[in-house]
Amino acid sequence: MGEITLTINGRQVKGKEGDTVLEVCQANGIDVPTLCHLDGLSDVGACRMCVVEIEKERRPVPACTYPARDGLVVETSTERLERYRRQILELIFTEHNHFCMFCEASGDCELQKLAYRYQMDNVRYPYTFPSLSVDSLSDYLVIDHNRCILCGRCIRACSEVAGSHTLDFSQRGWKTLVTADLEQPLGESSCFLCGACVQACPTGAIFSKLSLYKGKTDECQQVKTVCPACGVGCELNVLVKDNNLVRIEAPGLTEPRGPLCRMGRFGLLEPTPPRITSPLVRGKQGELEECSLHRAVGVIVDRLAGVKDGFAGMISTRVPSETLSLFNKFIGEVIGSDLIDTLDGGSYRIITEGIRQFQDNGRGLDIECPIEGILEADCIIVVGADPEKTNPIISTLVRRAVSQRKAKLIVVNSSRDVFPLWTDLWLKPRAGSEGDLLSGLARILIDKGLVVSGKASAKLIKSFSRYRMGEVVRTTGIEEERLELLAEMYGQAERGVIIYGEELLRTNDASSITTILNLANMTGNQFGDRLRVISLKPRANSRGAWEMGLAKGIKQDKPKGLYLLLADERDSEELLSWLKGVDFLVVQASYQSPVTSMADVVLPSPIWAEREGKYVTMDGRVLELKRVLQPKDGLPQDHEVLIEISQRLGHKLT
Amino acid sequence: MAKVKVASAWLDCCGGCHMSFLDMDEILIDLANVIELTASPITDIKEFSPVDVGIIEGSVSNEHDEEVAKSLRANCKILMVLGDCACFGGINSMRNLFTIEEVLQRYYSTESTTKDSKIPSSEDIPPLTEVKPVNQVVKVDCYVPGCPPSAKAIHYALTELLAGRIPVLPSEMMRFD
Repeated sequence: MGEITLTINGRQVKGKEGDTVLEVCQANGIDVPTLCHLDGLSDVGACRMCVVEIEKERRPVPACTYPARDGLVVETSTERLERYRRQILELIFTEHNHFCMFCEASGDCELQKLAYRYQMDNVRYPYTFPSLSVDSLSDYLVIDHNRCILCGRCIRACSEVAGSHTLDFSQRGWKTLVTADLEQPLGESSCFLCGACVQACPTGAIFSKLSLYKGKTDECQQVKTVCPACGVGCELNVLVKDNNLVRIEAPGLTEPRGPLCRMGRFGLLEPTPPRITSPLVRGKQGELEECSLHRAVGVIVDRLAGVKDGFAGMISTRVPSETLSLFNKFIGEVIGSDLIDTLDGGSYRIITEGIRQFQDNGRGLDIECPIEGILEADCIIVVGADPEKTNPIISTLVRRAVSQRKAKLIVVNSSRDVFPLWTDLWLKPRAGSEGDLLSGLARILIDKGLVVSGKASAKLIKSFSRYRMGEVVRTTGIEEERLELLAEMYGQAERGVIIYGEELLRTNDASSITTILNLANMTGNQFGDRLRVISLKPRANSRGAWEMGLAKGIKQDKPKGLYLLLADERDSEELLSWLKGVDFLVVQASYQSPVTSMADVVLPSPIWAEREGKYVTMDGRVLELKRVLQPKDGLPQDHEVLIEISQRLGHKLT
Repeated sequence: MAKVKVASAWLDCCGGCHMSFLDMDEILIDLANVIELTASPITDIKEFSPVDVGIIEGSVSNEHDEEVAKSLRANCKILMVLGDCACFGGINSMRNLFTIEEVLQRYYSTESTTKDSKIPSSEDIPPLTEVKPVNQVVKVDCYVPGCPPSAKAIHYALTELLAGRIPVLPSEMMRFD
């Protein structure tokens, strides 16, 4: 892009070809007021606050949409422009109903800030007092039309960032409103509750119920950390006041990995079960009672003495790598047991077996491509996964690829279409037959000549050619024409991506994963030296734990004793039946739950906001968590408990 | 030197702006040396007489408010309005989203705890009008928005007036809440 020179306010400044006049101003520290502009979103020139005077233009033009050219002469703050900006503000204030005195955005409102800047102490126009409603039916979001200035930032965020396009203008003229779908209440619309609109809104028109009145931005500390909710690893900007969580924002809303989702933005602020605030041991009557850490560790040490073999360790993969590493040494060296697993170890073993059968060269999970591969995809197949439920950011990226790049979307799911209204093709194979469907797909691709020559070995081609379509149709219940349609779409794609997840892993069929990798390889759907395949790992640090070797698997049917580092996992009920046969159970957890109620010893554990350390995201990036909240006094960190127990057993754990 | 004569009135308001005025605390003592406060809720003098500066808190919400505003305007050289209600209509103007009938019905019929409640009517009760900021009924010279404006902002405005300048609040002192 060539460099251009403009004269702005009498000063020569440099810009790039393709910039708008606003971008040139911003790059050169020239402050031009804006309302409908948000860095990273497309510009529309709706509010006209950024009007500038350009030599040879007959009237002021909005800087945000005017293309900068070499030689332009621009004035950004003449007396006339400043008068116009003040008039615009007054018109906005009289158009809807802006009551600052009880609005939770007051102090954080861009409209208000501009009114202060322009010293708007009275309004010359009569107020219109339109009768406007408040839509508060959504679980997290409220739209108060009274406060809306119709800048459209929420609409563009919903479309360009969230890929949903749920919000848009309805009606016309001064009756225009921002509404969801065909004027549905937001809570009954296609809204995914990602909250990009909340962050984009310059006023208090769209806000989150969870953060009401908890603190203004300048009253809060801001800490950048990483979201613990899933394996994607989005950066969070957490606002904290008086050691309480106020609000969670995306530091880079418009970046590919930026937007956040309902789990990270809102889920982390939801009420939680009661915390474990003290170590607990079984008293004389058998119920759990509070005790000192010293006593709890004493009980563990005594019982360990008798249970050397058959003592296992299990750990949540929400925990950062430093704690995982320490736990590994604790179980391996201090306890001396090789029975160790993660809560999601089963997924790991199937994925790695699938990869190993594809190519046994130790590359492991690095065969997969980063999630940015979804954004550039022209064809996406989602197999045995529900990204909107497990990793909503992934489904945001899928929607963006479909709406912005017209990517074809195919869902292979035996129970439901996980992208209703978005899929081009939904194949519903019989449960457990996904592997056959994928093999059938490979067969058709080979038959149609849609494979890249040299990519697949003759042996592999022969093995797929053995699949008889009649068999595949019978096993899967899918008609051959539909499989052929899938083959056409995927075979002709240049950047086709296959995403798979938990539902496929639960079929326990590692070969289906091998087939997926073969499909990508045969059709030349590569991302550099990786394949365009993405497996949705269950937890924030699943990959970190797996690559450290913690997911060995507990081969014994029922270990005699189990040290379960549950951390701040929720919904651990599926463990209950398995835990019933364990003789001695130690649970280190943040929250009270049916699992902690079963334990012989309960130890406290910090929640995500109280931890520090490293996460490895599902596509291999190493991210740094920062502590956001101070733990309540006296509550130990996970590693402090493990070190204490080790010390009493005569080991020094570092 | 003669003291500057000041009168104040409160229209449809909560009184908070006058309370904020009093929040100038010990500065009031210095001000009392240069300002003579005549008619005002603070002095409880009811009749307006000619003054240099008139101060109004509150919006114009009925015919009586309009009379008071016009009367004070006629009696002062410079009119200053205090608070969001006087500057913009303020929180009172939420009433403008409904008709006067709806408001009276809601207040006296549906929500009232009085038995057999009726909407009072008497020629002594000034009829409600649309809620207006003061500048929609009389010419205003100086505005101090806020809900309420801080004592500091009020002090700034008064100091400027006493120095012979008509102030516009600087951005740092401007508040709508």
